[in-house]
Amino acid sequence: MAAWQRSSASNGAPVPVLSVRNLEVRYFTRAGTVQAVRDVSFDLHASESIALIGESGCGKTTLGLALLRLLPKGARIVDGEIRYRRRDGQVIDVLQLDEEEIRRFRWQECAMVFQGALNALNPVLRVWDQMLDTARAHAALSRDEVRERSERLLRMVQLEPERVLNAYPHELSGGMRQRVMIAMSLLLDPQIIIYDEPTTALDILTQRAIIEVLRALREQLDFSMLFISHDLPLAAELADRVATMYAGKIIEVGDVREIFYNPRHPYTLGLIKAVPPIVGELYDISSIPGTPPNLIEPPAGCSFHPRCPYARERCARETPPLYEVGSLHTSACHYWREVKLERQVVETGD
Amino acid sequence: MRQSTPIARAPMIPQLAARRFASVVFRSYALRRVLKAALTIYLVATLTFFIVRLMPGNPVDVYIHTLISQYGFTYDDAANQAAALFAFNPNEPLLVQYWAYLRALTRGDFGMSLVSPGTPVTSVIMTYLPWTLFSAGLGLLISFLLGIMLGMVMAYQREGVLDHILTAAGSFFQSIPNYLVAIVIVVFFGVQLGWLPITEMRGAYSPGMQPGLNLAFVKDALYHAALPILTYVLTTIGAWMLLMKSSTLSTLEEDYVTVARARGLRDGRIMRSYVGRNAVLPLFTQMAISAGFVVGGSVVIEKIFVYQGIGFILLDAINRRDYPVMQGIFLIITFAVVAANLLADLLYSRLDPRIRVSGGE
Amino acid sequence: MAQTVRPGQLELAPPGLGQRLATAVKVFFRLLAHSKAGFLGFLGVLFFVVLALAGPIIVPDAGRPDMTKIYQPPSLEHPLGTDYEGRDVLKQMLRGGRAIIVVAVLAATLSTLISITFGALAAYAGGWLDSIIMMLTDVVLTIPQFPLLVVLSAFVKLDRPWLLATLIALLSWPTLLRAVRAQVLSLKEREYVEAARALDLGTTRILFGEILPNMASYIVMSFTIGMTAAIYAQVALYFLGLAPLAGENWGIMLNLAWVRGAIFYKDSLMYILAPVLAISLLQLAMVTMSRSLEDVFNPRLRES
Ligand SMILES: Nc1ncnc2c1ncn2[C@@H]1O[C@H](COP(=O)(O)OP(=O)(O)O)[C@@H](O)[C@H]1O
Ligand code: SF4
Ligand SMILES: [Mg+2]
Repeated sequence: MAAWQRSSASNGAPVPVLSVRNLEVRYFTRAGTVQAVRDVSFDLHASESIALIGESGCGKTTLGLALLRLLPKGARIVDGEIRYRRRDGQVIDVLQLDEEEIRRFRWQECAMVFQGALNALNPVLRVWDQMLDTARAHAALSRDEVRERSERLLRMVQLEPERVLNAYPHELSGGMRQRVMIAMSLLLDPQIIIYDEPTTALDILTQRAIIEVLRALREQLDFSMLFISHDLPLAAELADRVATMYAGKIIEVGDVREIFYNPRHPYTLGLIKAVPPIVGELYDISSIPGTPPNLIEPPAGCSFHPRCPYARERCARETPPLYEVGSLHTSACHYWREVKLERQVVETGD
Repeated sequence: MRQSTPIARAPMIPQLAARRFASVVFRSYALRRVLKAALTIYLVATLTFFIVRLMPGNPVDVYIHTLISQYGFTYDDAANQAAALFAFNPNEPLLVQYWAYLRALTRGDFGMSLVSPGTPVTSVIMTYLPWTLFSAGLGLLISFLLGIMLGMVMAYQREGVLDHILTAAGSFFQSIPNYLVAIVIVVFFGVQLGWLPITEMRGAYSPGMQPGLNLAFVKDALYHAALPILTYVLTTIGAWMLLMKSSTLSTLEEDYVTVARARGLRDGRIMRSYVGRNAVLPLFTQMAISAGFVVGGSVVIEKIFVYQGIGFILLDAINRRDYPVMQGIFLIITFAVVAANLLADLLYSRLDPRIRVSGGE
Repeated sequence: MAQTVRPGQLELAPPGLGQRLATAVKVFFRLLAHSKAGFLGFLGVLFFVVLALAGPIIVPDAGRPDMTKIYQPPSLEHPLGTDYEGRDVLKQMLRGGRAIIVVAVLAATLSTLISITFGALAAYAGGWLDSIIMMLTDVVLTIPQFPLLVVLSAFVKLDRPWLLATLIALLSWPTLLRAVRAQVLSLKEREYVEAARALDLGTTRILFGEILPNMASYIVMSFTIGMTAAIYAQVALYFLGLAPLAGENWGIMLNLAWVRGAIFYKDSLMYILAPVLAISLLQLAMVTMSRSLEDVFNPRLRES
């Protein structure tokens, strides 16, 4: 809603908080070079929430890590640009920051809560010490200010501050630890927070609770969010826009409703069809036939062609660009016009 | 996983209370360790007693026999004399003797020296033990601290030049028996090359020095302990380095380290409190082996450097067949190792909050 | 063994013993080839074993004392010089490995047997038996081994190889036992053992038929560690004169060189240096070999 207004304005439009262009990330391994992120471009606007959707192994986490320049040894950003607009309006190039600058950029400007992060907290330090550590590494906040902020945030994520701050991580349940991480991600009031499958390692009820917490936080606080998930319905609850990723590429981007009711890429369509009619129930993403591609040698042309029901000879030859397929809706499929969701099939069930 | 407050709501039936007490004891890591240490000492004391009493040619009988045959003692006089020296009465039933022996031990009474009449074993121990504790303890500490620092450097600069050199050197010195290293030091750097004033460095401190806690004396003591300490460090540091390296490498893979970097913490802080503190924890379990090894090795090392510590005196006592002294020294050495162990365990439980309540290895 | 073949048993049956041995040998060499240092270590160990076997055969006796030839420098006739009573050092070196290595092998065999039997038992039985064995292990592990050996030497005349070996073995099993127990615990979970248990083959058969054969390389490793411990203790006892100085071995040479002043002269330096080097190289070879085996068998270390 608000998102398309901003981005549709041609002149004097607000500059996006984050603007990624032609990003390429590779892992250099003994088995070969893994092209984990390929030619990825997208904009994230102020207060906007984008859901990044795709099968496991398609490069979502790598993309998130690259934004913070946190890639492990053996991985490199080989090309592209990451532009970030600071609060004072100045736009900086994240890839040009030196070590100290990138350290300050992390968490203060852009925080990240990790996938299955049951082990995200240092086991030998109390939660309070880790809150303090985080604050001390950046802002010149006093101890009392940190205390006050931590308590407020912990209450917002439905935890009892007194108990949790004095606890060691092993004394907290998985869901509680993840909430602590969410609270901590907000500690320095960053403009962007990346949530990388924040509910994956948790049971269904806890998953729900975490989603509710995030939804509430989005209403009360002002931050942009990149929500990474392989779970489309879950993402839909929190996202303004959805970006589908396949084999290291973003292959479709659009407003959340647009994507849900009018997907224009066969892969996104497959993901939606895999969703059972009652939103929120378990579904199996692997119900798209075929296996995820090998990123050391991704298929030529459209990477999805070996699995695509719409594929023709051209698909294996010619890499589809991102076509404008609707208002603020792009899809990397040559035959996007033919892709149509048969709504009634989903709604009647059988 | 979560620890609910252990406040009991059920009425306290005595039986139940006892069981709860037992379970608290069992669950408390510190208490369990103390009990284990006590058990070890008790078992070793028992073992020593039965070795001395039951071995063929046991010293008590030999001593009584000598008194009778060489000095014309009557059996009773000889037995009385033996009782005074060995802190038990050889005429009583074995179990009674055993009980008396244990009671004497709890009073810190180890009997009297056979060879130097009138000298209690305790005073022999008090004279020489501090020097072994000083040199072996310092050696252990230096080796541990230096080892974990180098191990971390090796992990951080994995496959670098320093890593390769230290790995090779560490494995080399670790495999060579410590007394051979000591022998080489004496033969080459002491005698042949004459770089070290080996004879001057003998003993625990220089003759004429007044023991006391002043700088001159501490310096002198360090000077005399330098070669034993060097040997201990050289021969144990390799193990610490390699252990710390592999532990650090696996800690670096932990999520919380990546998250700490994502949180923008400074590298120094991450290295100390996130990587270092976690990586060092598994090393504490090795402390037992290392302490035992260094203290055990001190017997030979002290002999080679003529350093008058407890190991040196143990050999002396063995050569002179001074059984009560031998026995006392062995007990005290075991006690020292057990105590060092307990200390390491307790320190470990202070450093690892997961251990504190729930226990487990 | 008369056994009714139950459905599925054929697929579940592990490979035959011969086949398994062949695989074990193949794996062993592949592993050593995998690490150059480990292979060098293996060659070194082999060299010392051959030396121990052949040395006293090549040199049937160490020669008579000759007071005119005391502490002669290395020469063609005496490549390593002579000792304090004019005997050839090289001859003593060639003869002096056997006693040490024999005792080490005896001790390592014994301590490996103890640790494997009780380690496997503890892991397999679990429960209170496991607790008791582990408690005892912890206690013995804490007792300073060498001082105890030294004290024992005052009571027992350590003049027989098996006696020395037994005493050393009785003190050096705990480390190995822990390792074996951990290994068995992990093997126990594997499929074929689960399958054997499902077929109700009985603990003894599972232990000796399934688990132990799969630990062959691990046993080799434990064995070498046991040998290093035994050599350490043994040589130290000789050096300190706590074991009788009868015959020739490297420990006795070390003792005599030290006591008879060989360290003070350049000419007689080889008298002390030769045993020092031989023992060091032997230990180094064994530690290197066992470490490269360990790198492969200990999955936790392998990852790093
Ligand atoms: N440390 C690494 N080294 C080599 N390849 C990696 C590494 N991490 C991830 N990859 C590869 O990069 C691709 C993308 O992985 P990832 O970003 O984790 O995907 P996702 O988060 O979508 O599941 C996968 O093919 C994965 O195998
Ligand atoms: S480009 Fe071809 S293969 Fe790719 S999604 Fe479209 S139809 Fe399928
Ligand atoms: Mg991921």
